[in-house]
Amino acid sequence: MTTQTLPRIAFFEFTSCEGCQLTVVDTLQAHPELLNVVEIVQFREAMSERGEDYQIAFVEGSCTRPHDETRLKEIRQQAKIVVALGACAHLGGINAIRNRQPLEEVRQYVYGDKADWFDTYVARPIEAVITVDAVIPGCPIDRNEFAMAVSHLLQGRMPNIPDYPLCIECKLMENVCMFQRGKACLGPITRSGCGAICPAYGDGCEGCRGLIPKPNIESLKQVLREHGMSEEEIDAKMTMFLTYQKMRLEEKR
Amino acid sequence: MTTLLNETLRQESIYIPTPARIATINPMTATEKLFRVALPSGFSLAHRPGQFVEVSIFGVGEAPISICSSPSHSNGSFELCVRSAGKLTNALHRLSPGGTIAIRGPFGRGFPIERFRGKDIIFVAGGLGIAPLRSLIEEVIADRGKYGRVYILYGSRSPNDILFSEDLKLWANAPRTEVHLTVDRTAPGWDGNIGVITTLFPKLRFHSRNMVAVVVGPPVMYRFVLMELLARGLADGNIWLSFERQMKCAVGKCGHCQMHHIYTCQDGPAFSYAQIKNLEEAL
Amino acid sequence: MSLRIMPKGALKAWVTRLQSRQFKVVGPKSLHGQYIFDEITDPNDLVLDYPTSVLPPKKFLLPPRETLFRFNARTMESHAEITVEPLIIFGVHTCDMHAIALLDKVHNTGYADQHYKAHRAATYLVSIECLKPCMEGSFCKSMGTLTVPEAFDLHLTDLGSDYAVDVGSEKGEELLEGFSSVWEPTESDYERVNNVMAAKWPHFSYRLECDVTELPDLLSISQKSPLWDELGERCLACGMCTKVCPTCYCFDVTDEIDLNLEKGERVRTWDSCQIEKFAVVAGGHNFRSSRALRQRHRFMRKGKYQYEAFGLMGCVGCGRCAAACLVHITPVDTFNELYRMRQSAKAVPQPQIKEPQP
Repeated sequence: MTTQTLPRIAFFEFTSCEGCQLTVVDTLQAHPELLNVVEIVQFREAMSERGEDYQIAFVEGSCTRPHDETRLKEIRQQAKIVVALGACAHLGGINAIRNRQPLEEVRQYVYGDKADWFDTYVARPIEAVITVDAVIPGCPIDRNEFAMAVSHLLQGRMPNIPDYPLCIECKLMENVCMFQRGKACLGPITRSGCGAICPAYGDGCEGCRGLIPKPNIESLKQVLREHGMSEEEIDAKMTMFLTYQKMRLEEKR
Repeated sequence: MTTLLNETLRQESIYIPTPARIATINPMTATEKLFRVALPSGFSLAHRPGQFVEVSIFGVGEAPISICSSPSHSNGSFELCVRSAGKLTNALHRLSPGGTIAIRGPFGRGFPIERFRGKDIIFVAGGLGIAPLRSLIEEVIADRGKYGRVYILYGSRSPNDILFSEDLKLWANAPRTEVHLTVDRTAPGWDGNIGVITTLFPKLRFHSRNMVAVVVGPPVMYRFVLMELLARGLADGNIWLSFERQMKCAVGKCGHCQMHHIYTCQDGPAFSYAQIKNLEEAL
Repeated sequence: MSLRIMPKGALKAWVTRLQSRQFKVVGPKSLHGQYIFDEITDPNDLVLDYPTSVLPPKKFLLPPRETLFRFNARTMESHAEITVEPLIIFGVHTCDMHAIALLDKVHNTGYADQHYKAHRAATYLVSIECLKPCMEGSFCKSMGTLTVPEAFDLHLTDLGSDYAVDVGSEKGEELLEGFSSVWEPTESDYERVNNVMAAKWPHFSYRLECDVTELPDLLSISQKSPLWDELGERCLACGMCTKVCPTCYCFDVTDEIDLNLEKGERVRTWDSCQIEKFAVVAGGHNFRSSRALRQRHRFMRKGKYQYEAFGLMGCVGCGRCAAACLVHITPVDTFNELYRMRQSAKAVPQPQIKEPQP
């Protein structure tokens, strides 16, 4: 046993499926040595103790209610480093699909006559509320990337997350291009780092790791049109994970 | 027997650096620190002014940093003026004296100082550009008789960002040497010039016939300073610049620093304006 | 050096024999309707009559991810990680051979790259003569890469029932050592080779409208062409063109370290000049901030810069980038469009110097 105090980390969840934290549990099994270098003080998915004295906070889930904001700000107050864990925290995730529809309708549709009981609003990534130091993207996160990110944070630097497009990774694996297989793929505008897992198994990229810097969305739309997709289908394809980011880009324009 | 540090590259791998010790660290401004780096005994850097080294921290990475001490002040060690601006330089700033880093180099072609002999020299530095120039200025000041008049122009963001202020005083006291400072934004206590570097030029009375200029600064500075110098009649071949580029290898392989057929790491980073004036993307 | 004849039926036995001599054999094999260079464990998988591969054989000489050295961050010890094994690459097309010639030049210029050299020294290249165009985007005839450069160890030409085997080096000789199913060519074998070689040329067409020797100059005067903006509009900056290119060798370098922050390695990975961050410096300035500038840089490298730096063309006409590009940016179209733009610029009447009247 080491007597030296280890960096204390904690996990938090907001609107999400908690699948990313499940991946963390999985990572801890694959890399048990992680437990020698950090002390976990709060992790609902894996333990019942709840310590509030932490330095690094990993936050899963998107902000969807006013009181999420309060809690996020508390976490920010305590933590030296806040890491967005997974697509919901990073991009608003699939929760943000609803953002294109009137909120009242969404609430009515989901909660019916109990709609008034729920104060849910526009789904946002946590960076819309607090300063985020680092992101571990993906739906769910990649376990090796999580382990690497922890190692980088312990070194006092930000995790080295790729920001080049998925096509690069996919081509290195010599996968058949999804477009050659007649499938739509968001690889050219989506951040790499997942091991091109969807194309490797025959599905086009859905964009869960978010947009690359300066994506050429218009040109990709043209590619999708050339491959026979209607405007509606194209918009739908870009809705799953990219709604929040795309709406922000549209506002800027 | 001393071994030149860059000879080690021809052995096992061009990518393996040699461990070196940080002898001293002096904070200079809010963002810059001066590191004196001691090579292991038996090694010498033998650099030319204007050359750079690749600095490593194992586990963090590597970055090119220009050498700011003059070869004649080396004595088994050399200085690096480092701005905390990226992952390697941030990590470097967190180290303490006695800490170990690793070094490859020196790389590139420095300034052709032999060609400056007998000539007036105007040094133009913007921000951190003073660091590589210091290596050359110190060399010129140390051998003052061999050169004509010397003008040192140095622009900083604010008075608090001025680097090497002690050296600037020494240089100003050297014979036939003028030092002119300017800042973009003033601060209490500053009674010097305010404005971009080109606002210093009207104050100068120099003759361009027998003159060379050495200009190092951020990309945006070059164009304007070049306009001034060319308007004063300096020949293209007598204006020297140093280029900053992303470099991953420093040995002409990784492609990041390539502009046209030139690899800045090996063919530069010092170029005469004549060499690069027709290269798109150079400036 | 010399020519031998090997019946096609002996190929499998030869491959098996080479494997038993502890050579690792790689070559083109079919996977999901495309061809990739991969280890051949069953000689039946080796396909020498293949159109083109997804990634070029470059990947064995300059692996997409390669450890440069291992280090200990506490003791500061480091040692190079150069692990190579005798490797035979079968079925290298002549365009890819030209690309390897360029890679050889680059990695032996100035400070030689010991890692590349070690891979290269352990590699035996068995190239193959291309007898018909492999795909729509290729333009090897225009680039002068339809014949094999000297870099080969053995070079095969398909004669129908046999292979003509050119021996290009002592390493090539070593591969044939003790294999009895090869014989010295007869007069009629030479005639067969000549006939096959003569017959192949008409199958290929010149696809560039200018001569390859004009490319560097054409590109010189095209630095400010509006075509680059047009390509930049379309380009997805996906980087696929550079991944599949047999002459792209740019790389990134990163450190990986264990959780105890002690043992680690410095790794190089293929990089791409098409991605946003490639030419950004610490202060944030990007020397090629637009897709247009990055596409220009790419084509300039292919048709001009590398030629000027190393004396060999940076494009070998393999056509892989054209096949990979989702927005139809191709070297043939680009070079031809630039040439046409120049031609039409020339067509504008220029002031003529009057010839003295007799």
